[in-house]
Order: sequence, then structure tokens, then C-alpha cells
Amino acid sequence: MLTLRRRSLGAGLALLLASAAAAAPSTGGPQTLAYVIANFNNAVYETQFMDECPEGPAIGNDEMWWRGLSRADKDKLTDNGLVQPVDRRFISVLRGPKGEDVCWNPTVVKEPPLRTVQGSVSYGFNLDGSNDDRATPKSCPHRNFVSERGAPGVDNQMYRLLGCHYGWRRNGVLDTFGNEERRNSGRGVILMEITNVTDPRNSPEVRVAFYRAADPFSIDATGRILPYASYRVDSNAGKPRYGAVARGRIVNGVLITEPIDAKLPFYANSAFAEIQLRDMRLEMDLTVSPEGKVQGLVGGYYDFDKWWEYMLKIEFLIATGDWSCPALYTAARELADGYPDPKTGECTAISSAFKIDALPAFAIHTTPVEARR
Amino acid sequence: MSFLIKKPVTRRAVLRGAMGGTTLGVALPFLDCFLSDSGQALASGAPLPVRFGTWFWSMGHTPNHAIHPDASKLAFLEECMALTPYTQHINYFGQFNSPLDGRPNHVHHTGWVSCRTGTAPIAPGDIPAPTLDVLVSDAIGGSTRFKSIDMTCTGNPRDSFTARNTNSRNAGEVSPVALYTRLFGAGGDANSAAAKADPDLMLQQSVLSGIGAERQRFVRRLGEADRARLDEYFTSIRQLENQLAVQQRGTPAGAACVRPAAPKEGPVGLEIPVAQANHDAMSQLLVMALACNQTRVFNMAFNNALSSLRRPGTAYTHHTLTHEEAVDQKLGYQPEAFWFNCRVMEALAGFIDKFTKVKEGPGTLLDNTLIFAHAETSYAKLHAVDNIPVMMIGRAGGRLKTGHHIVGHGDPISRIGLTAMQVMGLPVEKWGTGSQQTSKTITEILV
Amino acid sequence: MMPVRTRLGLACALLLGAALLTACSRSEPPTKGGPVTVRRLTEAQYRNVIADVFGPQIVVAGRFDPIVRTEGLLAVGASRASITPSGVERFAALARSIAQQVVAPGNRELLIPCRPAAPGAADDACATKFFQQAGRLLYRRAVTADDLAGPVRIARTAALARQDFHAGLAYGLQGMLTSPEFLFIAESAEPDPADKNLLRLDAYSRASRLSFMLWNTTPDAMLLDAAARGELADADGVAAQVDRLMASPRFTQGVRAFFTDMLSLDDFSTLEKDSLIYPAFGLAAAEDSREQVLRTLIDELIAREGDYRDIFTTRRTFMTVPLGMVYRVPATRPGGWAPFEFEEGDPRAGIQTQLSFVALHSHPGKSSPTLRGKAIRELLLCQKVPDPPGNVNFDRFNDPKSPNKTARLRLAAHATDPACAGCHKLMDPIGLALENFDGAGQIRLTENGERIDASGELNGFKFADARGLGQAMREDPAATSCVVRRAYTYAAGRPIEKGERDWMADLEQSFADDGYRLRPLLRRIALSKALQSIAKPKPELSAGGPT
Repeated sequence: MLTLRRRSLGAGLALLLASAAAAAPSTGGPQTLAYVIANFNNAVYETQFMDECPEGPAIGNDEMWWRGLSRADKDKLTDNGLVQPVDRRFISVLRGPKGEDVCWNPTVVKEPPLRTVQGSVSYGFNLDGSNDDRATPKSCPHRNFVSERGAPGVDNQMYRLLGCHYGWRRNGVLDTFGNEERRNSGRGVILMEITNVTDPRNSPEVRVAFYRAADPFSIDATGRILPYASYRVDSNAGKPRYGAVARGRIVNGVLITEPIDAKLPFYANSAFAEIQLRDMRLEMDLTVSPEGKVQGLVGGYYDFDKWWEYMLKIEFLIATGDWSCPALYTAARELADGYPDPKTGECTAISSAFKIDALPAFAIHTTPVEARR
Repeated sequence: MSFLIKKPVTRRAVLRGAMGGTTLGVALPFLDCFLSDSGQALASGAPLPVRFGTWFWSMGHTPNHAIHPDASKLAFLEECMALTPYTQHINYFGQFNSPLDGRPNHVHHTGWVSCRTGTAPIAPGDIPAPTLDVLVSDAIGGSTRFKSIDMTCTGNPRDSFTARNTNSRNAGEVSPVALYTRLFGAGGDANSAAAKADPDLMLQQSVLSGIGAERQRFVRRLGEADRARLDEYFTSIRQLENQLAVQQRGTPAGAACVRPAAPKEGPVGLEIPVAQANHDAMSQLLVMALACNQTRVFNMAFNNALSSLRRPGTAYTHHTLTHEEAVDQKLGYQPEAFWFNCRVMEALAGFIDKFTKVKEGPGTLLDNTLIFAHAETSYAKLHAVDNIPVMMIGRAGGRLKTGHHIVGHGDPISRIGLTAMQVMGLPVEKWGTGSQQTSKTITEILV
Repeated sequence: MMPVRTRLGLACALLLGAALLTACSRSEPPTKGGPVTVRRLTEAQYRNVIADVFGPQIVVAGRFDPIVRTEGLLAVGASRASITPSGVERFAALARSIAQQVVAPGNRELLIPCRPAAPGAADDACATKFFQQAGRLLYRRAVTADDLAGPVRIARTAALARQDFHAGLAYGLQGMLTSPEFLFIAESAEPDPADKNLLRLDAYSRASRLSFMLWNTTPDAMLLDAAARGELADADGVAAQVDRLMASPRFTQGVRAFFTDMLSLDDFSTLEKDSLIYPAFGLAAAEDSREQVLRTLIDELIAREGDYRDIFTTRRTFMTVPLGMVYRVPATRPGGWAPFEFEEGDPRAGIQTQLSFVALHSHPGKSSPTLRGKAIRELLLCQKVPDPPGNVNFDRFNDPKSPNKTARLRLAAHATDPACAGCHKLMDPIGLALENFDGAGQIRLTENGERIDASGELNGFKFADARGLGQAMREDPAATSCVVRRAYTYAAGRPIEKGERDWMADLEQSFADDGYRLRPLLRRIALSKALQSIAKPKPELSAGGPT
């Protein structure tokens, strides 16, 4: 009786209701699901008392600068200590020996080594396929983590680098501000389209495309993004501007994709940044929460230059996020673990993982004619 | 200074003869009504005017929890706790009934219509006679810029309880900003006479009197029923002319008259906080409009007849609660519905409070006002139209004793309206139709 | 009578075959006529008239006194409405604002057909010319010297006082816009040469009735010309004008106005939905849902010339992104409207399942089978549901120990208690079929975890869900009879007279013969003798009345 009633409702409706509630076999041909990503945060595993940072939080730019000043300079530059770090940030980065900006020239000063994460647990994926710390054809030697569920071999050097900075932790603002700005502006929004879904709980072979959404979010009276809105795929003359496609499968309601090299659109903190990931994987639970969201994890080797480009774009937030470029850069070069440069042997990418919140949506492909309207 | 208007606007309306059971004589000029023995005066030396207004709420009271049954005193119970500080200003009327003479009880409609017109409606939606505030404003509304100011806190201008007849209902202002603009927005002092004879006002008056002159030509070709409707339109034209005349010569303001600050634009609707905010804002504008003598008659509707008041995030409205909520066995009433009724009484208390804050003569604006507050039912769960709660608040310029609990013993509710109109100086000795026709004034409250 | 009609009908079909012309010689049953009407302009009409006469750039900002819905239509309420003091205040303010805009530089060059001899002085000749031109369109008839005298005089006085011709002109125009000649559409009757027992609308009154019926605005110059030339006195002349009006894109505007009235869509302006319970149903969704049903109706009934009954079963509609979020379907043209069709088997078929119906007839935070059932009865089937009795007692329905999870269970008592069942069986079985739509119109299969049973019955036709309800309505003769009656009432602006019963029956038959298409129905009404027939007034005791 249950099944009969579902069938009479039509394939599309059945899929819709099924994906929101209990399982039901759908009828008719393969379906398409789409999601728009609302929140995109560095996946930072935290303990209550910051045990993973035994030396304490990382030292930020302002403090490094402050340490290097003479008493007289301190008084002069800070008006006897009354000016806040946030205003000092434009001078405090100019502390190279010749007055260079130490973010743009991170090797001109030597700083104490960055306080990196020393814990053993992290969110993330086993990107290089190995559970030990040795090099592989695609990776440099590095310590592995254990996942929060106990799985070994997790590669997340980005967490190791950023995890002891307040700015990227739970109470920090960098990812939060970024998400808010993206929500309000609709810039750099990732639109995912999953095709060839035969069953929203179990589909052996689906395709997952990653586009940029050309339409802004629809937001309700309380500022929440509303689900089931329609977004055009950002395209140029009919061809999507992004559009990496991964193969995947859905197992017991969880979407899992095969690794691909992908460029994802991204915008945060007044900066456009393309997240260039090699061996990108996605794991997303398609069960919609009562607030209308789905959650997942996306990870891969984040191209070093692309990442540092973003860090430079958000230099103006250095006091709010509280990092120091020379220490961070130096540590990043050491800890980078992906895709060694054949000539120098230095790794060119950093293993990373990001937590995503997404909302059910509809992806609209427009023809070139329609797009021109 | 004479307040006699050159063209007696109300004369046309009142000389139409008997309407809906009310017999009215010629409208009395302003002055004669309002000389009181104590000689209260306006700042300019003219006597303080007496104001009349109505305050409507729906869903009545929770029985046994609103008013103490002992009629030897006036004591409010839990639901009306907010009114306690104002007990001395209030006369409460209980046990007055609305005999229907076999006419159906149109739920949430018959009750207030009976109370305001003295006649039970036959068909749903009917308003068979002018509501008493219209009669009062016909008599005393001609000397102020606005014949009456009608407001509703529900966001829907159709939620008003003032009408001349079924098809002529006065719409309520829903927006405090729009009300402000209408009352005070012309810029400058709403009370002062035009600095020199303002050509614009005079030209506007010419425009309107030109329309009045068309009247004969236009109505000649109309049938009887249509003529009556157009008659009202032409009366309204004359009223507007009068409004301009008043604007031109200026209005003496009470000492407390202060141009209020403009309210901010906000939402309208029936979520409790929204309705409360709009009620508060419009009440504040109203008392200033009264102090500045921009009008002498007002109507405030707090909620609609089918009270759609609700709490944000809940599915049930005030009205559905009165029907569907279970009576709590321990408390003996419907707790959620009771909660809403309490908010309503708080709003009434807030309304009264604003009148007490405006100084006038040796007392306050409230002393020179008669607020006629009532509901459309006594117990919403049963749609009962007997024992509908009615209150008269304020001393009406010294003509009323207050602080009494009057019990009607089943008398028709029209006695209350009759008394109110007489207090306001209308020469009416008999009001209402059928079993609601009455000539028995409630003398216990008269000075 | 019947056999004659059937014979004639057959002859008709044989002779004319697939002709679409309605003068299909089955003759219209005579009526005894009805009263003339004097209708106050509605808000929509006022806005349309100002835009048509002075251009869409004129801003009409103000509120209008509400009209009381009578006999199911505001169009009838308009013929009972007067104007209250605050209403006149508003109309006067609007008139002033519009007049000032019309004479302002930028508009005056387009709208005033002459320049004054001297800009700072009066100019009766130019003023007269302007008022004559505008007055014809505003008063909907030829203007007489009497009509012009007042405005010209005021314009002169004001021009002198203001030392500005155009400022003076504005006062004159303000007067015309506040005049009852403008604000009320007052019809007049003249003797009917074909029938000494009847009167008929005079030419200008006929023009008004047709124009407001088909375009919801004042008669345009061509229609007024036809009236002036006497062309509206004969059938061909009227047909030519009616066909012109119906061929115009403005006809859509008129049909929208009709359905807006019939389906009470103006209630959208005061619709509230709880934003916490239904976050997706915001202002954008509410506005779009009103537009959605109108687009659906125009598409089905005018563009596609479809069968009226199909509106209860059609799966075709239009979507915007805000609507898409409530329906949870893609809107393929974000920022605009895109056609959309629900799949076969989807219960969201027919206008009675659209948000404009299920969300409008619900509570702010939950659905309401009773409100929906009542609305279907009253708006779509033209069947009156009696008011609830005053002494209804809900005590026995509130059992705090077993809260009922679905509306069907909660309303079960409506069906069993004899005091309630009589009326509620008219409403609840219909409304319960729509329980798969929550208070905002979003589809759901369960309520409080309990599966919703959407089965019911309409006049003997049983169904399992909302789709079945649509089928039932499609088959119900009350649905087609309802739109016929409403359309005529709307056009006439007054209730149907007793003497019009045969004419109504004939009209309903023709509607069926025409495949229930709306266009031929409206054409037939517009061309009918019934629409122009005025009953002779009974002798009155007091002097006066039309002669």
C-alpha cells in the first residue's frame, strides 16, 4: 500500500519525498540531485583544552613584530601602547630588514618555528594511499593522522599548519566571515549536480559535477539560506566555467566520489580564490537534517601557490586571524606533502580537508541563447 | 472666538430623519455642548472639548477570571489585572444581553453590531444602522479637521467596526507612519491658522464646493437607493471642505499639544508583538491628535473580529485556541487563550495610560474623554452574545461617575450605547430596534 | 420549448459546421432586464484608468477604501459602495497628486493639447480644450458645457491666484478627478425601440459596461467614438467593438481582473504566514503565487483556448525561484517566469492545489480543511455554505488525553455530531482531500508522523487524493455553471435577476456547446441583449428617478 501510493505520485515527487524521509524505491529513469554549498570551513579537529597545541596557540604577526621592537620604537609606534593591533597591522607586516612586507617576502626574516598541531586525530582522507609516514610517488614524507572514527593514514597537513591558529578554530572568524560574505553576495558559490542517481540511498555509478552558481542565494527573514532554490550553472557560451566531473557512488545514503583533479570556485573575505585540488574526494551524507541541510567532507592536495595566493589576498585580516606569514610559509614549505616537484623534490601541494554544509537545490543549464538574455 | 462653522456639515446628515431607529434632532453647535460647570478651558480660553472613542477587542473574557462578581465594587481578576491601576476611571457593565428576536447569531459579528447599533443584523455581514461613534461624530465631529480617526492594529483596513451601514464602512488606518503623515505631516504646526490666507487651501475648497454644486445634476438621473449612497459621498465632500476650513482658520490647541516625533516604518500584521507595537505607536499619535484638537472622535480596533492574533512560530491563532484548546482541569480555563486575553487587556491598559499622561486643565485628557470599550462576545468558546463585556473609561468632562460595576440583569446592551450618546450630548431619548429598543438611561453613572 | 431549441441547435450545427461565430441562430431567451448600476471605481480600475488616460509614468500612490464583497464579487459590491469621509479625503489627495503630475513639465507636453497664450495667466480656450479631451475619457461620455463650466472656472481663478496657467489647470483637473462623474460609473437607460416594455443602456453606458468587463478600464477613444456615432445601438456595431476589444492584448488584463475577483485574490495583500513554521513562504512566494494562478488561467483558457474544466486537472503551470522553493521543483528561468509541468501522477494538478488556493485558504501556521472546503464550495462551485451556529459547543471535541495527529482525526467530530455534520459535510470531505498540502501549500505525506488519508467524496464522486478531487470538480456541473454565473454577474455589476433564469440556462448550455471555452462565453455575454436590458423602474412615491 505504501509502495503503491508512492508510485502513483510520480517519479519526481517520489524522489523528492524519499530524499527527505524514509527510503523508497523510485520509478522511472535515473534522477538528478543538486546541492549548493553554503558553508565551507577548514576541517579542524579540536579538543576542549587545545591539547593538540601543547605550546599554546601560534604566535601572530603582531606579536612577532612587537617582540622585535626596541622600547623606544614601541612607544613611538604605538602611541605609548594605546593603539590596537588591528590598526597596526599595516605597519606591523613591514618588518623586513629593508622594510619589506613579510607576507610577500616571507623568507627575509627568520622566526621561531610555527606551533603546529601535535595531536594524532584529524578529519580528512587518506590521499596517498599509505598509512605510514614514508614518501610515495605522489607524496613527501609526513606524519599521518588517525581519523575521528579511528581510521589510520589520514593526510591533512593543512590542519597541522592552521590548527593552532585561533582564526581557523571554532571561535575564529576567518571561515565564518567568509561564509557570511559568500551568503550575502552569492559570489564563489559551489553548485553540485549528481546525475545518474537510480536510488537516492544506493546508486552504484553516479556522476558528480562541480559548477559555480550564477544566481545568488535565497535567504529567509532570519538570514538562513533556503533549500530547493534554482541556480543557473555559470557558463560561457553554453560551456560551464567550472565543471570538474567525478565518478562516484551512493552507499546507504552517503555519496562518495573517486579522486579527480578539480578547480572549485571560491570567494571569502573579499577575495576570489580558486581552490585547486588534486586527488579531490568528497564524502557527503545525503540525509537532509531538520534544518534542511546535508553535511560532508571534501579533501585533496591543495596547490601550494594557489593557497598562498589566497593567504596573500586576505593579508588585511592578519590581525583578526592572528597568524604570522614567515613562520607559516616556512612551515608550509616543510610540511607540504603532495606531488613533489621532479626537479627540486619539494612538494607542491598540501593535503587538506574541508567541512561543507550544503542545501538541496536545482541546477539549471541554460542554452547559449538563454544565457545571453 | 466662534467655533460655529459657516456651513453646518452635519445638518444634512441629521435632517435626513429617522434612521435605524435613532431619532435625532438638529445637531447642536459645539459651544453649547461643552460648557461645564467647573469652567475648564482650552489654552485659548474656549472650553475643553469632550472626546469620544471606541476601543474594540474580540474573544471576550475568560469566565470567572476577568471581573469579580460582587457588583458592590469594581474589582478586576487575573485576566484583567493590567486594568487594576485604572479602576477609578472605569465603569464596567456586566449582564447586559443582546436579545436577537429570532435573528441568527452570526458568530463574531452579531455581538458587536448589537452593541454598537442597537440592532441585531439579519444577514451575515450586515450593519443595519450607523454605529454609535458615527452618530456621535455626526453631532460633534464637524468642528475639527477630522470627523473621526479610525485605526486598526491588524494590518487590514477592513478590520474596522465603525460604519454608517453595511456598504459604508470606515476603513482603519493600519500604519503608524501613514497616520502620522495624515495628522501631523503637512509640515509646520498642525494647529496654527494659515500664516496668511493660504491660496492653496482656498482653491481646494473651491474645487470641492464646485463638486457640491454638481450634486443636483448628478443625482437627478439616479434611483432612490443610489441617491442615498451618493448622498453620503456628497456629505463626505462637505466634510472635506470643512476640514480645509478648519485647517485654514487653525485650531486652538490644548496646553499639552506637542507635535510628536515621526514613527519609524515597521511591519503590520497579527503577530502579537507586531500588533502591540502598532497599537502603541498609533495610540501615542492619537492622544496627541486629541490634545491638539485635530479630532474629537476615534475608533481603535485592537484585533479583528475573528482574532487572528498569534505567537510567532505557533500554528494556532487566538480564535482557534478559544475553540480547540482543552480546558485545563486544574485551572478551570483554556490557558493559551487566557494568555492572549491577558495581552489584550494589557493593551487596553496601555491605551488608557496614555490618556492619563496628557495633562488637561486640572486633570488629564482621560478626564475629558469617554472611551467605549467592548468585545463582540462574552465567552468566545460558545459565541455567547449575552453579557458582552463593555467598559466606559474616563469622566467625559465631568459628566460621569466612574469606578462602578453596573449589572444589567439581562437588560438590552443598547442601554449602554444610549447612555454613552446622551453623555456626549446627543439629544437621543430612545435607541435600538425590536427587543433592543430602549430609553432607559443608566443613571447610576451620571453626575 | 426544449424540442424547438434542440431542433434549432441541430440545424445550427448542420448549417454552420465548425464556425466559431456565436450568432448561432438559437435565439437568446428574453429577460425582463435589470437595474442600472452606479459603481464606484475599484482600485484596479482607478489605476488602469489613470495609466490609460495620462500614461503609466503617473504615480498613483495611496490607499483605497475597501469594497465589501457582495454575491461573491467585488464588482457587485462596487455597485453598493459609497465613499466615506476618509475615503473622499484619500481620493482628493490622489486627485491632487495626479493633477500636479499631469501638468508638470515633461508630462504637460504630451498630455495638454495646447499651450496657453501666456504661461502666467488664465486661458479659457486652452483649458476648455484640455478638459474636453480629458473629460471625455474620465467621464466616459461626451462632455457638455455644464461639465466644463466648473473646471474652467476653477482653472481660471487658480491661474490668476497662482499666476501660472498650468498650476491653475491642475486644480480644474483635480476637481474632475474628485467628481462623482469620474469616481462612479453611473449608467443611464433609454427606451428600447425593439421592446416597449423594456429600457436599454444608453450608448455610453453600454460602452462602459463592455470596456470594464473586457479590459477593466475606461472606454478608449475608439469605443467612445462608436458610442457617439450610434454604432452600439445595433448588433453588428457592438460585435465589431467587442471583437476589437477581445483581440487586443488588453483583453488579458480584463480576464485577469475577472478571475482576481472571482477567486478573491485580493486577499493576498493581507495574507500572513508564520515565518518560523514556513520559512520558504515569504513575501516573494506570496506575490508570485497570486501571479501564478493568473498566468495558469490565461495560458489554459485564453492562449490555449482550453476547456474551462481542465483548470481543475491541468499539470501545467509557471514557476519562479521563490515558488520553486515552496514546491521544491526547479525554476528554469531564475529571475523570471518559466513554464513548468508536473509529472503524470503528481497530486499537484489543478488550480485548487496551487499555493494561491491552498495557502490562501489556510491559517498562518497550519492547513485548514474547512476553510479550503468552504472556498471550493463558494468560489469555484458557487454554493453557499451556511454560517456556523452561534451556540456551537466544542467541549466534547477536546480530549486532552489523546491528541489527534491528523486533521482528519481532529475533524472527525464534525462529521459525527449532528449539530455540525449538516454543514461540515459540505466542506470537510473536500478540504481533507487537500491535506497533502500544508498551510503554506507545501506537499507532505504525513502529519505528526501519521500518514495522511486524502480520500473523500464530492457530490457522489469518490476520490483517493487531490488529483481525484480535481477530477470530481471537473465532472461537477456546478463548476461550469459557477463561472458562467460569475462572468455575467461581473459584467452586469449586479446579482442575477429572477427574470434572467432562462437566459442563464441558455448561457450554460452554450458554454457546453462551445466546449467550455472562455472566450466564446465572454463574447456571448458581451453581445447579449440581456447585458443591455434595463427593467422599467417601478413607479416611486417620491419625485425623481430616470425618465
